[in-house]
Amino acid sequence: MRSRRRGKKTKNLWLVLCFLLGSYLSPPPSEAGLREKVSEHVLSNGLKVILLENHKAPVVTFQVWYRVGSRNEQWGKTGLSHMLEHMMFKGTKKYGPEEFSRIVQENGGDENAFTSTDYTAYFENLSADRIQVSLDLESDRMHDLNLQEDDFQTERMVVMEERRLRTEDNPQAYLMEQLEATAFQLQPYHWPTVGWMENIKNLTLADLKSYYHTYYNPANAFLVVVGDFSQKKLLADIEKTYGSLPPGVKPDQEKAIDPPQHGERRIFIKRQAELPFILMGYHVPNLRNGDSYVLEVIATILAGGRSSRFAREFIQKKQLVLDADAENSLLSKDPGLFLISAEPLPGKATAEVEKAIDREIRRLQTEPVGTQELRKAKNLLEASFVSSQDSLFFQAMLLARYEIVQDWRAVDEYPPSIGKVTPQDILRVAKQYLIPENRTVAVLVPLTTEGKKTRGSEFSLESKTVR
Amino acid sequence: MKRRSITKVLVTIFALGIGLCLQGHPGYGMPPVKRSVLANGLVLLVSEEHSLPLVTIELLIDAGSRRDPAGKEGLAYLTAQGLLLGTKKHSEVEINEKLDYMGASLAVSVGRDYTSLRLRVLKKDLTEGLELLLETITEPSFPEEKFHREVRETEAAIQSSEERPEVVAEKAFRKKLFLDSPYSHPVEGTRESLGRIKREDVVKFHSAYYSPNISIFTIVGDVTVKEVEDSIVPKLSAWHHASVAAEHFSTTFAGGPETVEIDRDISQANIIIGHQGIRRENPDFYALTVMNYILGGGGFGSRLVDEIRVKRGLAYSVASFFGAGKYQGSFQIVLQTKNASAREAISLAIEQMKLMQRELVSKQELQRAKKYLTGSFPLRLDTQRELVDFLSRMEYYGLGLNYPERYRSLINSVGREEVLRVARDYLHPDEYILAVVANLKEANMAEPGGSAGE
Repeated sequence: MRSRRRGKKTKNLWLVLCFLLGSYLSPPPSEAGLREKVSEHVLSNGLKVILLENHKAPVVTFQVWYRVGSRNEQWGKTGLSHMLEHMMFKGTKKYGPEEFSRIVQENGGDENAFTSTDYTAYFENLSADRIQVSLDLESDRMHDLNLQEDDFQTERMVVMEERRLRTEDNPQAYLMEQLEATAFQLQPYHWPTVGWMENIKNLTLADLKSYYHTYYNPANAFLVVVGDFSQKKLLADIEKTYGSLPPGVKPDQEKAIDPPQHGERRIFIKRQAELPFILMGYHVPNLRNGDSYVLEVIATILAGGRSSRFAREFIQKKQLVLDADAENSLLSKDPGLFLISAEPLPGKATAEVEKAIDREIRRLQTEPVGTQELRKAKNLLEASFVSSQDSLFFQAMLLARYEIVQDWRAVDEYPPSIGKVTPQDILRVAKQYLIPENRTVAVLVPLTTEGKKTRGSEFSLESKTVR
Repeated sequence: MKRRSITKVLVTIFALGIGLCLQGHPGYGMPPVKRSVLANGLVLLVSEEHSLPLVTIELLIDAGSRRDPAGKEGLAYLTAQGLLLGTKKHSEVEINEKLDYMGASLAVSVGRDYTSLRLRVLKKDLTEGLELLLETITEPSFPEEKFHREVRETEAAIQSSEERPEVVAEKAFRKKLFLDSPYSHPVEGTRESLGRIKREDVVKFHSAYYSPNISIFTIVGDVTVKEVEDSIVPKLSAWHHASVAAEHFSTTFAGGPETVEIDRDISQANIIIGHQGIRRENPDFYALTVMNYILGGGGFGSRLVDEIRVKRGLAYSVASFFGAGKYQGSFQIVLQTKNASAREAISLAIEQMKLMQRELVSKQELQRAKKYLTGSFPLRLDTQRELVDFLSRMEYYGLGLNYPERYRSLINSVGREEVLRVARDYLHPDEYILAVVANLKEANMAEPGGSAGE
């Protein structure tokens, strides 16, 4: 993520904790379905184009998604996908470094990019009449990036600052990284998207060039455009700008999958922190397996809304935790983790909180969920479907994420698949996946913050000159 | 998720400064808005938007943390959070069950100026959702036991936020800058002040300030003006108003340069450089918006990002903003850099403030700022949530319904000389307050004239 704000990365704790919209980021009011409204075209060079007209505001979101993320990296070269994302703003033969952002801003637009384990995506949000700006700039950098050593040296420092900001100095994010490194032994999800610091330091310009060459081409990318345009006209313009790009080769996307785990794994991380934190990750399938929809409902029963089981039992009744959450990874390209997290209140032992979580899981495995409670969970999921459609940006992102995992059309299967979930499904799925043998537990043990002190000083920087 | 609200409070404060800098535009893209004032003083704003079967409502009450009595900091926050703990008709559990069953969300956020309740509900559940919202506002019961739980949770959330260096830096900065001001203390109070707040204080605060004559009700979405007038206005009209006591607000700002340093075992120095800012109603707001865009508000292309990030790779994130509120707020440059680069980054930032005062900005920079600020307006209003936020704040800060039309000319009339003038009038590079949370030894912050950096 290149933004100045703290962003959301797919494999990032911030997502687990605060990505309310995203965690159930989901399809639209089910009646019509997106299949009828979205059009798909494939240019002769292999570029797929996904278009959705939405005329509620005179704006468009133009997004280019590359099927490359940290899952495509090699051991020792972690962080390469994300590093390349940063370098994509450093110019082409036609446009100088940072000119990309400047041109978009001069056209009243916003631009940025984000990288996950599974994809790298670039976007511009613009007034509808400025869409040609995206076409020109994005098609150019899809094939003609000008990678320079000095830009790279500086930008690598920026990425290291990004890692410090998001991970090194954030004990909960650090814990998440360690959990994944423990839960995944074979899958590339073993390493963080931003990369290990030691690897970032040693990336080279040659690494970037060959990575760009392999993964950035029309056959390994697709466009998603949502907003106020006419499909026919836009498609013709896309053909004009992108049609002449040389076709690429589809890179191999098959990755190893971790074999079943035989027994719980458990780690303790000691860091300067105020409160402990618990993370549990259970291996689960993605949307290619119907059980993943059952897990969506389970996550909502546990932690969706203010009347969820966690909220009622842990926060309101027992006053055990400051916060507790559950999140499924429906849209992970390779099988991901069903995550449970909890931050105990001061004075509460992590063991006590863990026991309480286990009790709730046992309840799921032994007591059928009541009709009313199940209905409530489904209503919550359905309503967040509708409201996630309110933003053009998220609508495009939704289509793209399904396309990355399987096919954008699978979006339409979400509402009926959720609707079909029964109390028996929940019993069965909870018993199958939410078992200790299948999980990794990571516990943050706060080191006391002694030596922490404040002082005021009057030192001045007046005498210091800048080079 | 709920307990992350303290984060949201901080974000709200930031958004106030940044958000207002980003609004405006021709009126093109702006759906029509109907404004009326009810007999009880409540301002009602309605805007129809029928693309989804969804309605978003914001009730904004002029009861932010600046109203906290001295010694009871956090009272506005606890009062607002307490609304969801139960009413005379429904228990906390019942309220939550009802909301979740509708798939609705009711979120409370508290800022320094105002408190806001935002309801997002499917059209079919609008009546029931609205009734719950009004019930929490007009008939909260603040059950004693639950109130104590809320206090304990808030204390814990404050403790938890202590491990986030950017939060620690912001609190230290405000404490140093606002010497005697209702804007000084954290919205959620401190662990000491929370201990002094009793349930009766909350009841009193509620009856003093939760009143329609200092509130704004904004409704956007799949609802017609007629529906609002026929079935919602009667409910809103039943809300009795109180007479809200006149406010005495004053702030004393610290002079600089002054530094507060906090030692943590972390890899980056979290830095805030700043000083007193402006009120939202200051007529120089628009010239300052342009000036700040060029200095550090405009992301890539702004001078701070260019000098500190793009040219030198010293930071991932660096930005500046004016937090312009109902009263005079702060100006801040916020950045994070590895400990060893702290001094260099601070020097660079201050140098950029000075440069802003020394020379006219280039024509290209001015043009780019204006084009972005005026051209990006429709992007900010493409969701119900954004529209509701925009309309409520436009009303709260008295900008007038024609504000979107005026904005373009307000921005476009700013010239290079005016940018220079406001930089000279409102930036104070020699009188900054500097807050640094870092590994101070690595940052070499202790001795002035040290050689960290180059």
